[in-house]
Amino acid sequence: MRATAGCIARHARLCAGVLLLVGLTGCATPPQLAALRQAPPPLPPRVELVAVPFYPQETHQCGPASLAMALTAAGRPATPDALTPQVYLPERQGSLQVEVMAAARRQGMLAYPLAPSLSDLLAELAAGKPVIVLQNLGLSTLPLWHYAVAVGYDLETETLILRSGLTPRETMSFSTFERTWARGGHWAILVLPPGQLPATAREAVYVQAAVALERAGQAAAAQEAYRAALARWPRNLVAQMGLGNTASTLKQWKEAEAAFRQAAADHPGEWAPLNNLALALAEQKRWKEALAAASRAVTLAAGNPEARKTLEEIRQRMPEKPPRERR
Amino acid sequence: MHNRFLRITARLALALMLTVTLPLQTAQAGMVGTEQLAGRHSADRERVITLLDRADVRAALEARGVDVNEAKQRVEALTDEEVAQLAGKLDDVPAGGDVLGVIVFIFLVLLVTDILGFTKVFPFTRSVR
Repeated sequence: MRATAGCIARHARLCAGVLLLVGLTGCATPPQLAALRQAPPPLPPRVELVAVPFYPQETHQCGPASLAMALTAAGRPATPDALTPQVYLPERQGSLQVEVMAAARRQGMLAYPLAPSLSDLLAELAAGKPVIVLQNLGLSTLPLWHYAVAVGYDLETETLILRSGLTPRETMSFSTFERTWARGGHWAILVLPPGQLPATAREAVYVQAAVALERAGQAAAAQEAYRAALARWPRNLVAQMGLGNTASTLKQWKEAEAAFRQAAADHPGEWAPLNNLALALAEQKRWKEALAAASRAVTLAAGNPEARKTLEEIRQRMPEKPPRERR
Repeated sequence: MHNRFLRITARLALALMLTVTLPLQTAQAGMVGTEQLAGRHSADRERVITLLDRADVRAALEARGVDVNEAKQRVEALTDEEVAQLAGKLDDVPAGGDVLGVIVFIFLVLLVTDILGFTKVFPFTRSVR
């Protein structure tokens, strides 16, 4: 999905109406709504997150407006104007999804992509988390992309409540929403303070979101996310290594050491934790232990040049080099 | 074939870009970066997805009413460990045996029994029970 969302708010209602007509004449209930009716999720019947602020979008700028609402709701106040240069592409009159996520990360927040599931979306709302959604309010052949923020639902009337365009409280039937959302590739994200897990958190997806935060240069925020991940999935290797690596970036060598030790203990076949442990120990000038860890890494790495390089480097940095036979 | 060539080129380009930018991301010189590690572990995922792109696999799955794109989305939603399990099963397929049949069988069993609620291999599925 690489569509830019241009959001032409004034036509949105009209298009939604047209869609509804198309939907009525076309087929009956969209698939996820049908499943929802068959097996109602164990959720409160009605939820509305009234505290989520509303920023009306300016022309075409639903991306920055939606992101600003979600960021503010997550405790990091932001305005659409401040975000516009980060996410808005003037020549395409819209924002790319990846840029919306990247902009959230630049604010030190974790961008979590939801599974393309209506019941997951509702579960997040029930857990008090507003959801940024991408809709195609037009037709597949004539797209009219639009970002909005879902802030509530009513299971009885089967309606979703959105902050959308110029409308602070738009109610849209589940079936219309599902169709417009499906045309937007079922794209939905949460913007979370990095220590919080989504209600529908999936291990690989969450850890990947934390890795993206680390890559964005937000070491401290990423570290919090890795900690949250490990509280739920204590043996996840990537999160363990991420915790150690972010600690290293922040020069917290004790913490780095502890994280790499844990990773090495839980994953005895992996050389990477030992390799990094060796370097964290070297930073603390604990040369003997560093040398031992690096040697074990080399053995496990079976000829991997990176592990060998680490061992060589530690040997070079040691103030006094022990005789080889004492290794 | 052409498609595969493009994909390999794209992957090479991506690898090159990662190598160029990697020093910025690494916590400390010589340390194995988190992303590097995450990438290695998703190699299994990549392999399973690539399998679903094969024309014969696609045709066989579609003939049995399984949407390949949906199958891919489900693979995306698997945890690393689950993907490793799945990839492990695929590795057990004997060389020269009925590879296609086994692949299709694995996907069908996982998808169908998941949906019926007997198993929960794919975290993605909502069972009808």
